[in-house]
Amino acid sequence: MSGKVLTITSGKGGVGKSTTTANLALGLALAGKKVVTIDLDIGLRNLDMILGLENRIVYDVVNVVEKVCKVKQALIKDKRVDNLFLIAAAQTRDKSAVKPEQILELSNELKKEFDYIILDSPAGIEGGFKNAMLPADEVIIVTTPEISAVRDADRVIGILEANEKKDMSLIINRINPVLVRKGDMMSKDDVLQVLSIPLIGVVPEDGNIVSYTNIGEPSILHPDSPSGKAYKNITQRILGKDVPFIEIVEKKKGIIETIINFFKE
Amino acid sequence: MVFNQTMSKVEIKGKNFLGFEISINSNDAKKTFAELESLLAVSSKYMKNSVVTLKLDDFNKKYANDIINFLKDKEIFVNAVVVKNRSGLDANVPVIEIGKTHLINERGEKEVSTFKGNLRSGQSIKTNGDLVVVGNVNSNSYIYATGNIFVLGKLYGVPHAGYGGNNEAVVFAFDLNPPQIRIGDYITRSPEKNVLLKKRVDIVPEVAFVDAGVIVIMGYDEWLKS
Repeated sequence: MSGKVLTITSGKGGVGKSTTTANLALGLALAGKKVVTIDLDIGLRNLDMILGLENRIVYDVVNVVEKVCKVKQALIKDKRVDNLFLIAAAQTRDKSAVKPEQILELSNELKKEFDYIILDSPAGIEGGFKNAMLPADEVIIVTTPEISAVRDADRVIGILEANEKKDMSLIINRINPVLVRKGDMMSKDDVLQVLSIPLIGVVPEDGNIVSYTNIGEPSILHPDSPSGKAYKNITQRILGKDVPFIEIVEKKKGIIETIINFFKE
Repeated sequence: MVFNQTMSKVEIKGKNFLGFEISINSNDAKKTFAELESLLAVSSKYMKNSVVTLKLDDFNKKYANDIINFLKDKEIFVNAVVVKNRSGLDANVPVIEIGKTHLINERGEKEVSTFKGNLRSGQSIKTNGDLVVVGNVNSNSYIYATGNIFVLGKLYGVPHAGYGGNNEAVVFAFDLNPPQIRIGDYITRSPEKNVLLKKRVDIVPEVAFVDAGVIVIMGYDEWLKS
């Protein structure tokens, strides 16, 4: 078996890289693929919590590259799906604890066992980012429709283009149709015009994400939630299926709510 | 090398959008008319009803009206005469001086660099001579050229045309919306809010240049006429 390395990155922090990683990893695993996800945000780990696996960490990625343990020992099996594994980041170290070449070597080893290796890149364009980029076969760039996030995504795409890592796609996270209508937020098309790379998904703003994160249940486990639906579609697209994009529209409001909102505005 | 005492060269060229150009280089009027006669025998039917310009060298300027009337007899109506400079020319149609079109390159920049693709945040280009970008120049990128800058796309980054002190340089873009424009020793900044949030309806190509110590932005069409 020869797996594929997907790297999730963004440039800016807080746009939803780890949430996206968790959802796509679970989604691909639920679709029957054998998946391992590696948290490369060493020193500021989060992915374990989003996946609800924080109590189970014994060995982490730094232990693996320092050969303190075997790769197998650091693979944390997901509590819901049998074919999903996590290699957690070390919380007590920092990004310089691993080198890009070591992550490449680890990814190559994991490729023999897994269909997908999903790397959760840290924010920024420094060492941690490079750790996540070197092994990548495909890069998924996550941005929100904020100008600052789009600018940082643009920077990252520029760096990747300069390094000939051309296989990129874009997820626009947390789009809010009300703000777009008012002209306070960039629309999907505005973002695409600037970044001009293929779009693989648009995730609507979903108030439930915070609670899903806190209880360690990615929204893809809640297929009725708007973000869960969007992540499911992205998973299908990664698997090569042609899924149409859902137009994100405002929720229909009742007449009383409309009147209240009228006075609020 | 054999030097011809008299020579005549008449050419008819189709120009994509501009109709036809009849170009005459000769020092023998008789031969010119003979050649025109034979060329038109073949191609005059194509040229009726389309725009025709007549390009004359310095020798043929004095025959301008004769040639125009000659063509008129063949039902070919000359829309304009193109010459290097108009002195000594007497023609009853509009005259275009090629000399004038050098305006854009007054400082004689010889080099042109072309960049194809999108210039992204944090990237920059520095070139000698003119710079042509076939693509978009995104926010927070920088382009410098000692000559003119032409962006065949959106220009949202910062351009510096005439880098090194050429105040005659111009900046052209299909969508000219940078936070700053720098030309030679001048700088100006955009007063608008961020371009990505602006609702803009009619985007037209624009040109920026220095006029009387101020950077002026003008619609491309208007600039062409000025």
